[in-house]
Amino acid sequence: MSRKLAVVFLAMLVLVGAMGLKTVVTAHGDGSAIMANGAGPAPITPWKNGAGPAPITPWKNGAGPAPITPY
Amino acid sequence: MPGPLVNLLWLVGILAEAAVVVCALKKGAFRRYLLLNLYMAGLLCVELARYKIVSEYGLKSTQFVYFYFYSDAILTIFLYFALCTLYSHVFSEMKAERYVKLGALLLLAGTALFTYAVVQQSTAKLVTHFVVELSQNLYFVGLILTYVLWGAILKLRETRTRLIQLVLSLGLYFSFLAANYAVRNLYPSLSTVFIPLVQLCGIFLPLAWAYAFWRLPEEARLAPARLAVIPR
Repeated sequence: MSRKLAVVFLAMLVLVGAMGLKTVVTAHGDGSAIMANGAGPAPITPWKNGAGPAPITPWKNGAGPAPITPY
Repeated sequence: MPGPLVNLLWLVGILAEAAVVVCALKKGAFRRYLLLNLYMAGLLCVELARYKIVSEYGLKSTQFVYFYFYSDAILTIFLYFALCTLYSHVFSEMKAERYVKLGALLLLAGTALFTYAVVQQSTAKLVTHFVVELSQNLYFVGLILTYVLWGAILKLRETRTRLIQLVLSLGLYFSFLAANYAVRNLYPSLSTVFIPLVQLCGIFLPLAWAYAFWRLPEEARLAPARLAVIPR
């Protein structure tokens, strides 16, 4: 039982650490996402609102070019 | 269509991804690192499909955007499970596979719940928002998991060279992307420098894995330090 509890605790600890790291990394970000699959160019995040200029996407998945946001 | 440099890097990335699968098959490591190789094979297929979509509909098409983000979410989940299988390899002697599975599922469920809690206030495109946020959160979970796994490798004095190479290259890949994103947002004027670097980083991971499968045999071991230096 204690081993299972330790697994649960570690899983939650990793989740908290990951979200904390995400907050630090994206502190000055534009709300766009980071992902990591492949070498291609990535599109701009799909939930930009407003008329401001769109930032360049921060994550790469594959080596292909990136489209603009869908909405 | 994107510029020639982007296309060239894209092509190199696709070739590198194919090289991972081919090297794993040739060296008989495909089944041993099944999820890792399935992830790379899936990434290869997705990359080819993306290229076809861009060729037909263009870079700014809705088709490409949606295909990109949804396929990326699936790939990130695949990568997450592939990383969990690396845990199973490292802890194989401890018979801890059951606990690794339990932890992986719990962490995935927790990440999904957390993501839903964050995006549920979004009024439009809730599903798409959830999919992209889940990918992003899983990316950071993967980053932390890789560091933890590296700590475990050091602690357990793991000596399997190929396994270490796979884990280290994944850690470098995750770390570079996160650092690149942070620095680029801190210094937006340098984004023209950092964006091609991201593409190069995307090539690095399949190349490192291909090297691990091609040049490092499964039985290769790193020589551990035999004596600890004790200050007198």
